Amino acid sequence: MKWWTTKANDPTTVIKGNSSFEETVQQSVVLTTMESMVAWGRKNSIWPFNFGLSCCYVEMATSITSKYDVARFGAEVIRGTPREADMMIVAGTVFIKMAPIIKRLYEQMMAPRWIIAMGACASSGGMYDIYSVVQGVDKFMPVDVYVPGCPPRPDAFLEGIVLLRDKVGKEKRPLNWVIGPQGIVRPDMPAQRDLKRAERMKMTEIRPPDEV
Amino acid sequence: MTTTDNDIISELKNKFGEAILMVQPTRDEFPTVWVDAAHIAEVLKYLKNEISKPYKMLYDLTAIDEQAKVHKVHPGSKFTIVYLLLSFDRNNFIRIKVPLSSDKPSVTSITKIWPAANWYEREVYDMFGVNFEGHPHLRRILMPGTWKGHPLQKCHPARATEMGPFQLPEDKQDEEQDMLKFKPEEWGLSKSNDDEEFMFLNLGPQHPGTHGVLRLVLQLDGESIVNVVPDIGFHHRGAEKMGERQSWHTYIPYTDRVEYLGGVMNNFPYVMCVEKLAGIQIPDRAKVIRIMMSELFRISSHLVWYGTFAQDLGMMTPVFLTFYDREKLFGIVEAITGDRMHPNWFRIGGVAQDLPNGWEKMVKDFLDYFPKRLKEYDKMVMRNNIFKARTVGIGVYTTEEAIEWGVTGAGLRATGFEWDFRKKQPYSGYEQFEFDIPTAQNGDCYDRALVRVEEMRQSLRIIQQCLDNMPEGPYKSDHPATTPPIKKYTMIHIETLINHFLNVTWGPVIPAGEAFVGVEATKGHNGYYLTSDGSTGSYRTRIRTPSFPHMQFVPEISRGYTIPDLLAILGSVDYVLSDVDR
Ligand code: SF4
Repeated sequence: MKWWTTKANDPTTVIKGNSSFEETVQQSVVLTTMESMVAWGRKNSIWPFNFGLSCCYVEMATSITSKYDVARFGAEVIRGTPREADMMIVAGTVFIKMAPIIKRLYEQMMAPRWIIAMGACASSGGMYDIYSVVQGVDKFMPVDVYVPGCPPRPDAFLEGIVLLRDKVGKEKRPLNWVIGPQGIVRPDMPAQRDLKRAERMKMTEIRPPDEV
Repeated sequence: MTTTDNDIISELKNKFGEAILMVQPTRDEFPTVWVDAAHIAEVLKYLKNEISKPYKMLYDLTAIDEQAKVHKVHPGSKFTIVYLLLSFDRNNFIRIKVPLSSDKPSVTSITKIWPAANWYEREVYDMFGVNFEGHPHLRRILMPGTWKGHPLQKCHPARATEMGPFQLPEDKQDEEQDMLKFKPEEWGLSKSNDDEEFMFLNLGPQHPGTHGVLRLVLQLDGESIVNVVPDIGFHHRGAEKMGERQSWHTYIPYTDRVEYLGGVMNNFPYVMCVEKLAGIQIPDRAKVIRIMMSELFRISSHLVWYGTFAQDLGMMTPVFLTFYDREKLFGIVEAITGDRMHPNWFRIGGVAQDLPNGWEKMVKDFLDYFPKRLKEYDKMVMRNNIFKARTVGIGVYTTEEAIEWGVTGAGLRATGFEWDFRKKQPYSGYEQFEFDIPTAQNGDCYDRALVRVEEMRQSLRIIQQCLDNMPEGPYKSDHPATTPPIKKYTMIHIETLINHFLNVTWGPVIPAGEAFVGVEATKGHNGYYLTSDGSTGSYRTRIRTPSFPHMQFVPEISRGYTIPDLLAILGSVDYVLSDVDR
């Protein structure tokens, strides 16, 4: 499905094209499948669960505020209950005492649901290889996107949201539970590290820290 | 030790004779006295109530597992209980130690003398397995109820990866959930009084109003709160145990995360404590840089509090504005340190690097920009009638109550008591700065807010003075234990090269001894009590955080109010859970 919006300072009066019949149809009729229509809707309105564990949560909250503005990606409708949320951002350290509660909250979310592991702690235990910390939330819950950092900058978190949107948009979930293949088909999402490697290798200079 | 310290020691010796086992010299020069376990309650009662200029505050209570120690002070002690008391009249601390030589250590509870000892004793029980006779409710506080063992004992494994992979099958999930069920009888709470049945309401550990993973169980009579039982430990990250396996240097990043809104403010007491143990003198420039960065973080932390507090009370806009200002601060912090929330930037002996070219302009721009914003917030929040209606006369307490329960920081000053450690026990050169200690009179939620808002203005004054008078010179001491060691001394001859190599790979060896250093942090008085056994890492790291006693105090100031008031009280206390549970 292809769609676009006009830019903020586009002159509204300019009319392009030749007003042919074909063009008019193209501008006003959308042809798509039900499935991708739903996927498109999901992708653009992921409602996050208001849930935080530790330091990372502060950076997640920062991404909601003005400078970063998560609303640009349609994910600003923060829900206080897991039952209304689509996405759980595990922002912070997964404490052993907290793990059963996190799992319970996850179970209370309705499908389709997605998980972002935000920060080193949630992804792998991070710098806390210590008796009271689970070494990554994926030890007891599936994770869709891992955002590295300690804490990840809000920008990095937003990139995580963008990647999740991408995934949600491409995911195939059957709408009919009688006809056709059942089960969710998830797109292949290679690690960003591999995708960006070539570009990063080109960097030969690091900005020195003596200048602001 | 000063003469007054000697006075107090001879006074104790005269009074208690044999019960005073010995006097220990420490690097922090606090009078430190070992007392026989049988007499501890008497001694503490005397120090609190009978002596002239009494020690009114139970500042800290903790323990040390001595069993793996090489440089023992008391040869027979297996577990040592450490009481740290603060006298405001004397402006001094006293440390009392009790040796316990049994394998099943046990000592008298002092909850009858200080009710605030309750949580501290529960923590020592949880972490060390020490029994406190006569404690009203001795059960685990930080670890889950199902936990086996006592984590801060030397024989308990430190790493999660030593303890087998974590699993959460159905039955374990059920068992844990069962453990979390609140049984009022266990806490001595009745289910009803003569004509009413009480309702028990569970708030948290996942609730937007608790500012993190905190659980409160409320006993309600209709709308009004009869009692509050905080259940903490959901944020326990083992920061103290972590100190025992990191080198002195590599522990610094963990301190950032103890009070995660305070950034380098957390490095401050830790590095000063190590410096005290090693006897390092800091160059002036490093001192002033540290003060400037800490004050920037004080403002940043207060901004988070300001916005979220207003939001708790129903205002949507302020949080967007204060977070915007916080971004401006982070612009400076990032330019100087390279990171935002956890810069990990102070070093043993100085700071990580010199200030970058152009820092003055950034700081100056902020100093010009921010006062206007504060004025705007005054109008928007502090003078807002709804805000006032929600906070004035709510959560009131007096100076005496605050001291009794170990409250420090803005919460203490809001009761009209002018006590700021930056002024009273200046560190890092704060005595050279001009600033006021904001206080308020009523000790309610509004006044606590008032004090914090004014504190931001005072921080601006301090930063201005740092900007105007930044000393020239090195940003790091040339003491051999400075970490990382200074490169220019490396290539002189083989000894300097070896020293450098060891200092970089293993880290410095800090002479055996112990010290406590605290700072006036964002949430109250935050301090590190470090014990060195003469090696490259700490033998015992005790972090005394302000939020722990503040959280214990919450039930005392919430009874009789309603649930919306409770949320105002929680916001006004300004805690973070990592600071409560560590
Ligand atoms: S990843 Fe770092 S910032 Fe995030 S919760 Fe863990 S320690 Fe805190």
